[in-house]
Amino acid sequence: MRQLRNGVFSLNGREWSLLVACILAIIVFSVASPYYATSGNAGTVLRNSIELLLVGLGMMLLLAMGGIDVSVGVVMGLAAIGVGRALGAGVDPVLTAFVGPLTGALLGLLTAAVIVLGRVPAIVGTLGLLGVYRTAIFVLLGGQWLSGLPTGLTLLLGTTILGLPVAAWVIALAYLAVWIALRRTPFGLHLLAIGNSEEKARLSGIPVVKIRFATFIVSGALTGLAATFYVANYRNVEMTVGSTLALDAIAAVVLGGTSILGGRCSLVGTVLGVLLLRILQNGLLLTGVPSLWQPVVTGSLLIGVLGFEVLSNRLSLSRLGWASK
Amino acid sequence: MTAPFLVAKGIAKRFGALTALSGVDLEIRSGEVLALLGDNGAGKSTFIKILAGAHPASDGELVIEGVPVAFSSPKDAAAAGIATIFQELALSENLSISENVFLGRELKRSVLGVPFLRRADMRQRVDGLLKELDAHISDPEAPVGSLSGGQRQAVAICRALNLNARLVIMDEPTAALAVAETRKVLALTRRLAERGCAVVLISHNISEVFEVADRIVVFRRGRKVAERLRAETNPEEIVSFITGAHPDVRALEKAN
Repeated sequence: MRQLRNGVFSLNGREWSLLVACILAIIVFSVASPYYATSGNAGTVLRNSIELLLVGLGMMLLLAMGGIDVSVGVVMGLAAIGVGRALGAGVDPVLTAFVGPLTGALLGLLTAAVIVLGRVPAIVGTLGLLGVYRTAIFVLLGGQWLSGLPTGLTLLLGTTILGLPVAAWVIALAYLAVWIALRRTPFGLHLLAIGNSEEKARLSGIPVVKIRFATFIVSGALTGLAATFYVANYRNVEMTVGSTLALDAIAAVVLGGTSILGGRCSLVGTVLGVLLLRILQNGLLLTGVPSLWQPVVTGSLLIGVLGFEVLSNRLSLSRLGWASK
Repeated sequence: MTAPFLVAKGIAKRFGALTALSGVDLEIRSGEVLALLGDNGAGKSTFIKILAGAHPASDGELVIEGVPVAFSSPKDAAAAGIATIFQELALSENLSISENVFLGRELKRSVLGVPFLRRADMRQRVDGLLKELDAHISDPEAPVGSLSGGQRQAVAICRALNLNARLVIMDEPTAALAVAETRKVLALTRRLAERGCAVVLISHNISEVFEVADRIVVFRRGRKVAERLRAETNPEEIVSFITGAHPDVRALEKAN
């Protein structure tokens, strides 16, 4: 909440550290690889960040609410298949673009039904759905890649408005909408209160079920929106689509200062977390580290940050206890 | 004596095979502090959770100002004018004081169908309430997690007042407080009653109860075993009701 209160343009300690880390990483990789500091590569990093910026935004909301979704990778996969099939069937590209968020929102609704109505812990429920959806992708694709899709979406998304690509506008609008919802409407207070304690939120008269459903649906829609960009970018959907997406999203969001236990989130931190992750992954690749190692780096970062938070939280908690007297 | 604000008739609560409460009859009056006493597991907390709408009663009836009510959620109870300040204080430590006071009942204005928070208005109202309660809180924008126990009680009481509560239930409000803060919270309790609220106070501390309560009710093993005006009883008698040493309680428990 404090991060949100700081507004968009003033950064807190965590966000400054992330910004510095991004710049340091860029400097180190520029020295290590002649291919790194080129405008083409900068474009690659940003293009590779599109899906994670959107999925990370949804994951940030879920974590802030005390939830989580480890099935975002396969949800994006299913939505991508929907977009791909619509595109292949010759549906108008503009309409096709909406198939992604719509499919995602429907899957989000299903996830919410399982977790909220079924009273299953989010991590267990989405792990179960991950298994189900992974097989659904296999069945839908019939063991083959969905490839060679028409270029309709690519053209649509290659368009620029006022000098900025459509993707940048969509992401900016998504973040602005979430910022308004969190900071300017009761939804934000309710979400953070649930993240702090679901029982207390219920006792305060907050419509907990409604807020949890809405958040899973919004996260699903954002993941589905990411699927539209995925198809536009790659024009194919492979069997293993999104296999590291959940790890990447959770790592980026936690890196950005959102609490894994809920009750606290940061939009600026999420953007910086995503960028840092993608800068590291791209830099390691260009300096000759096989991409096989990327999840190792991401996973280690996640564990490292959580370990650091446990230690520093304990310190600040004891400080708080004394300071209040 | 005024008509009671709330009448509980034959309230019972069972959790599976366990009977937590049975046959509780109780009248709660406006402007009066009613203390509920009893050992751990006597059923006090279960009873107030029923009043607060957090649990449905298995049996019995609640009547507010002559009208029978049925609560299916804390929201229903709040709408009927009942505010509960739980032992664990249902405050969100990560939110500010004014956000907590208005949580679930925010002031908002609709712009194109989007409900925008009226933060300045909420802040103003909370500043007024804090002043009225004489609660010394330096930074109303601070997260509640950074406040002391007594200050948190003040925030919770502000919240109850802001809901225009007619009945405020306080569950062990002083359990975790230092002496000076305890005095302050007890003074707040009296002030609530003087404002015309009905107050139900749950406590373990008998001297505290004798200081603020007008009427004292003792629970034991899920039953109401005694009800006394403060002026007509003394701490020794109340203790004997709580422990079951009082002849009336023995007779009652033998009869069952």
